[in-house]
Amino acid sequence: MQANEFDGNAAFSGGGFMPSQATQTAPGRPSSSSKNSGARCLIPLTVKQLKDLSRGGESGISIDGVDVNNIVLVGRVSKIDNAVSDCTFRVDDGTGWVECTKWIHEHVDSVEVDAILVGMYVRVYGQLKSIQSRRTVHTFSIRPVTDFNEIAYHFIECIYVHLYNTKMQGGMTTQPQVTNSSLGYLVQGYQTNLSNQFSGQYNTDELNLGVNSLVLNYLRRPASLASETGVSSDVVARELNIPLDKIRKILDYLASEGLVYTTTDDHYKFTDA
Amino acid sequence: MDTTSPTAFVNGGLLHMHVGRKVRAVIQVTRSDVGFVMGKSADDRQLVVKGSPPVPLTSYVEVIGVAENDNSIRAEIWTNFGDSFGMSYSRLNLLDLFEPC
Repeated sequence: MQANEFDGNAAFSGGGFMPSQATQTAPGRPSSSSKNSGARCLIPLTVKQLKDLSRGGESGISIDGVDVNNIVLVGRVSKIDNAVSDCTFRVDDGTGWVECTKWIHEHVDSVEVDAILVGMYVRVYGQLKSIQSRRTVHTFSIRPVTDFNEIAYHFIECIYVHLYNTKMQGGMTTQPQVTNSSLGYLVQGYQTNLSNQFSGQYNTDELNLGVNSLVLNYLRRPASLASETGVSSDVVARELNIPLDKIRKILDYLASEGLVYTTTDDHYKFTDA
Repeated sequence: MDTTSPTAFVNGGLLHMHVGRKVRAVIQVTRSDVGFVMGKSADDRQLVVKGSPPVPLTSYVEVIGVAENDNSIRAEIWTNFGDSFGMSYSRLNLLDLFEPC
């Protein structure tokens, strides 16, 4: 067994990243505590997600409505600052970098730290600390990645946990305010498309909304907007890999809604309101 | 903490969207020469990576660098990803898993 992350049972059971399951397995917790308290989750995150954490909840920091206590990061070490009592690693995972500090109390800590070199990919377990609005990771464990499939696996796990937690909160992630009504229609289309996929029900109207917004997004690309005559329907069909007759129907519908207009024969442009 | 200079993960098909920017990609090496390496991206497109590859070079390598055009990257950082990246299932003998006890 190389690492406990590859043991499917250990990764997905117990005090993993599913806060509701963790609270169910800990019946001794006081009932007055909030829904997620006492469930010390270990959450896989990217550095960008660390930056997006909001204040609130029991520990003071939360993401997707779940209190953040312990986190897992996988990234490349780009800098090491080795002091007597601690060692600080700058870990870069492609979405940004964060400083991870490991305190050295015993010989086993210094052995662990000496094994890490600049340029290595590492897996970091730690606790998020916020010092004067600067976020750092107080590291419990940092070890080199030997099987590089771990990197892809970590990102997939981050995506899965994020989608799971946002679904738990009711299926809608917060979206930036949109004033343009056609943009609002697009955002709505994607939202309902995603939540329907998760609930396992396929409502064809919602799916149509998703495809309509794909076509509209294609016509709103700078290249499409810049062209005088717009884009022809067979180019749209080819680029989006959707059958031509379906594209024609969608474009006719969008034109009837006033979102696109025809320029020359079979060429469409987005109505830049 | 800094998220101002992210490197996007790209394959051959996405490279054209990030020309001039920092990208990272894993390629399967098909040919290695002085000053450049030719390889296949995850979506089976040929990419040229310029720079000095590490010696020895494994079958799979991750490169971090600047995208020059839609099929070439000027690499700054090379990381050997071994010879069995993403290949774990092909190595298992699936018949062993389904044999009756």
